[in-house]
Amino acid sequence: MNIQAGIKLTAAEAALVESYNEQVGELPGDGNTLVARDTLLSDLKTAGLPTRRVEAWHYTDLKSLLKTVPAFLRGASAQRVEPIVPGSTVLSVVNGKAHTRVLPEGITAKSYADALLDGSAADGLVARDADDVIGRINGSFVRDGLIVEVAEGAAFEAPIEIQSVQNCGQVNTRFPVRFGAGAKATVIERHLAIGEDAALVTSVTDMRLADDAEVTWIIFQSEGDADTHLAQFKAELGANAKLRLYVINGGGKLVRQEIHIAVAGEGSDLTLRGINLLGGESHTDVTFTVDHNVPHTTSTEVIRNVVFDRARGVFQGQIRVAQDAQKTDAKMSCNTLLLSDDAEFSAKPELEIFADDVQCGHGATVIDIDHTQLFYLMARGVPENKARAMLVNAFVAEIVEELDDETLVEALEGVISDWLEKYA
Amino acid sequence: MPAVQETIDQVRQIDVDQYKYGFETTIEMEKAPKGLSEEIIRFISAKKSEPEWMLEWRLEAYRRWLTLEEPTWARVDYPKIDFNDLYYYAAPKNQSGPKSIDEVDPEILKTYEKLGIPLREQEILAGVQTSKIAVDAVFDSVSVVTTFKEELKKAGVIFMSISEAIREYPELVKKYLGSVVPTTDNFYATLNSAVFTDGSFVFVPKGVRCPMELSTYFRINEKNTGQFERTLIIAEEGAYVSYLEGCTAPQRDENQLHAAVVELVAMDDAEIKYSTVQNWYPGDKEGKGGIYNFVTKRGDCRGKNSKISWTQVETGSAITWKYPSCILRGDGSRGEFYSIAVSNGHQQIDSGTKMIHLGKNTSSRIISKGIAAGVSQNTYRGQVSTHRKAENARNFTQCDSLLIGDRCGAHTVPYIEAKNSSAQFEHEATTSKISEDQLFYCLQRGIPEEAAIALIVNGFVKEVIQELPMEFAVEAQKLISISLEGSVG
Repeated sequence: MNIQAGIKLTAAEAALVESYNEQVGELPGDGNTLVARDTLLSDLKTAGLPTRRVEAWHYTDLKSLLKTVPAFLRGASAQRVEPIVPGSTVLSVVNGKAHTRVLPEGITAKSYADALLDGSAADGLVARDADDVIGRINGSFVRDGLIVEVAEGAAFEAPIEIQSVQNCGQVNTRFPVRFGAGAKATVIERHLAIGEDAALVTSVTDMRLADDAEVTWIIFQSEGDADTHLAQFKAELGANAKLRLYVINGGGKLVRQEIHIAVAGEGSDLTLRGINLLGGESHTDVTFTVDHNVPHTTSTEVIRNVVFDRARGVFQGQIRVAQDAQKTDAKMSCNTLLLSDDAEFSAKPELEIFADDVQCGHGATVIDIDHTQLFYLMARGVPENKARAMLVNAFVAEIVEELDDETLVEALEGVISDWLEKYA
Repeated sequence: MPAVQETIDQVRQIDVDQYKYGFETTIEMEKAPKGLSEEIIRFISAKKSEPEWMLEWRLEAYRRWLTLEEPTWARVDYPKIDFNDLYYYAAPKNQSGPKSIDEVDPEILKTYEKLGIPLREQEILAGVQTSKIAVDAVFDSVSVVTTFKEELKKAGVIFMSISEAIREYPELVKKYLGSVVPTTDNFYATLNSAVFTDGSFVFVPKGVRCPMELSTYFRINEKNTGQFERTLIIAEEGAYVSYLEGCTAPQRDENQLHAAVVELVAMDDAEIKYSTVQNWYPGDKEGKGGIYNFVTKRGDCRGKNSKISWTQVETGSAITWKYPSCILRGDGSRGEFYSIAVSNGHQQIDSGTKMIHLGKNTSSRIISKGIAAGVSQNTYRGQVSTHRKAENARNFTQCDSLLIGDRCGAHTVPYIEAKNSSAQFEHEATTSKISEDQLFYCLQRGIPEEAAIALIVNGFVKEVIQELPMEFAVEAQKLISISLEGSVG
């Protein structure tokens, strides 16, 4: 390992470099793929992990928060679990290794490792910008994932669950996903841990929605209490495409979930709903950008956070409206319930507007439980702890109820109740 | 809204060239040599006959400044400033300190007359001027005159230039100077600490309600000079003071630097109301010239139930970098920030506030209205934070932006940091153009379009205007219409 003179690496940075040197011989792909990996790692080494001084990481000082990096474990063995919604089509990635299977008509899934091996994935192994540390780590280490393609006009009865389950070590996966024109689907992207040992999970989902596609995409993260989860979700929307994106965080010690959406086709629409259930020592950061690049697009974002114990939550949201994107309608709100004196929440909802004929707004609140509501319930004989739980539940469940699929609503409500039972 | 095209064209035509305070005063000046060094700082300090501790304070700041780097996080873009290509001291000759009005150079008096600033007490008392306001007039690096000093003294209020205060009340100055904005605070504040030349000093003793409005009028006149003003306002227990500053500068092709530091201290139950009408030269319509306004303003609500309120109307400057803030240290203290920021032409504004809740039961309110026209960029950047022990902190923030034309940009960057579960923070922001519904409503009732837009814009900023002292509210309203002339009439 060559450490360049003058650059002092932290323990975690050094561990990443060392881990790369140790794994590089067995990472899939050579030629251009390897060149791309080497470049990303070398950039990571030069830039280091981001500190508060990097605006995009203002509230998540990864340099000091990421203390150790678990080694890649060859013998790690997790098992796939039952899907959240019974009857879903399940695609599983176990400890970072994808398993393909026969799928219903209109959808195909191929191993991303094959694309790394034949070099076709090499072009995708680049960082988004100078601060994209997730892209760098993931691009250097990625071993597998799934390339999912949904055919033009395809529609499905049951949801599709892409399940990434791990028990420890390192998991670095990618999911390039394409929806053909007019395709309709509900997909659950689920990241979960079984087991107590620490894991470093990085995941990049890169989605394209062709014109008129309508997709409900649910990210549900429930990593373990010792795990670091660094994820990026990118999507580009074609004309009149609709993306309904739900992001639910309910686990992990150090979590950064980035969401970058380009509302790039006229008439396209983004609905983002976020639920952050934070407890214990968790530090969870949801960073979101949406680019309105063309006229007549809409986006609404609602983020609800409940913060218990010594947890710290972060929401950074940025609505950008390009000069040509007249008639944009964008609304963002971020509401937080702080439920412990040791809990923290920081929000940075930004607007960056270059067009004049737009309606854009954002709102952010941080509050405790409404005492009049609590009083109302207690006056009717509901014990205080139960009344609190009801109010917290209502605060987040409200968002889930917007979904039309009742089995899905029920499943997600169950997920929320389970979490609240454990932490509240 | 196609009819507004006409308006937009007019804004472009008239643009920032409407600046009416762009004249220059020809007067013999005394300047320090160009550049910045310990020698220059010694020169300034000697010019002001400062005590030794003050010089040391300046030198320490200067040494610190040498190690600092210019901040780049703001959304403003300008060529690198050569800090050695500036004059750090420029004063009208034979004018080492404020004297009686009769001794002031008639050229300077004429200048202030042209600017509409009343300096002659007799005239004011005789009713030539309608309102009674004490003025400290700062011309480049020195304060030329302070009016109503005697009358204020009778009430126990000290109002004088800071250079004078350093000589006459060194203990007071020493106690408070740098206690809110330390010399180590940031690049521009540190530079200011090293080279500040003048500014105002206000001390309102316990239980005194200052009998009149105080104000300072800053004028940059000399070429290539930087103006570094330092203002310190202290309100003792139960005191009240309302203070206003105004600023203008001649029209020039070169950019000029203005880096001020303002410190406010409010003790138990005291209240300070600080208003700014900032109208520095904004540059011409090609974006040439104009003032770089890099200002650090901070108020410390040190005592229980104290209150500090900032109101600003920002229409001038090529670049504004300014975040008047409140440290809510005392239990029950309150901070307020009301701002109207109008940018036109090539102006760039990055302004906002910080409300730091440290004490219990503190509250703050932020109302910010940004209006962007031309090819300007207008950013609100604000922070609201609670300390872990700051129980029951309350904040309400509202920042609205109005865009006129499609070449300008309006941005909102709030930082909301809650570390206490009893905190209650509410933030809302909107960006839009003038609502077609509102406009239609007015037009339908026979109000001409220009007048209707003026009505809507006035309504948009009303919440802030009404926070200004009455005497200045009218002036501020006029300023806004000048900045947007053609679009608001």
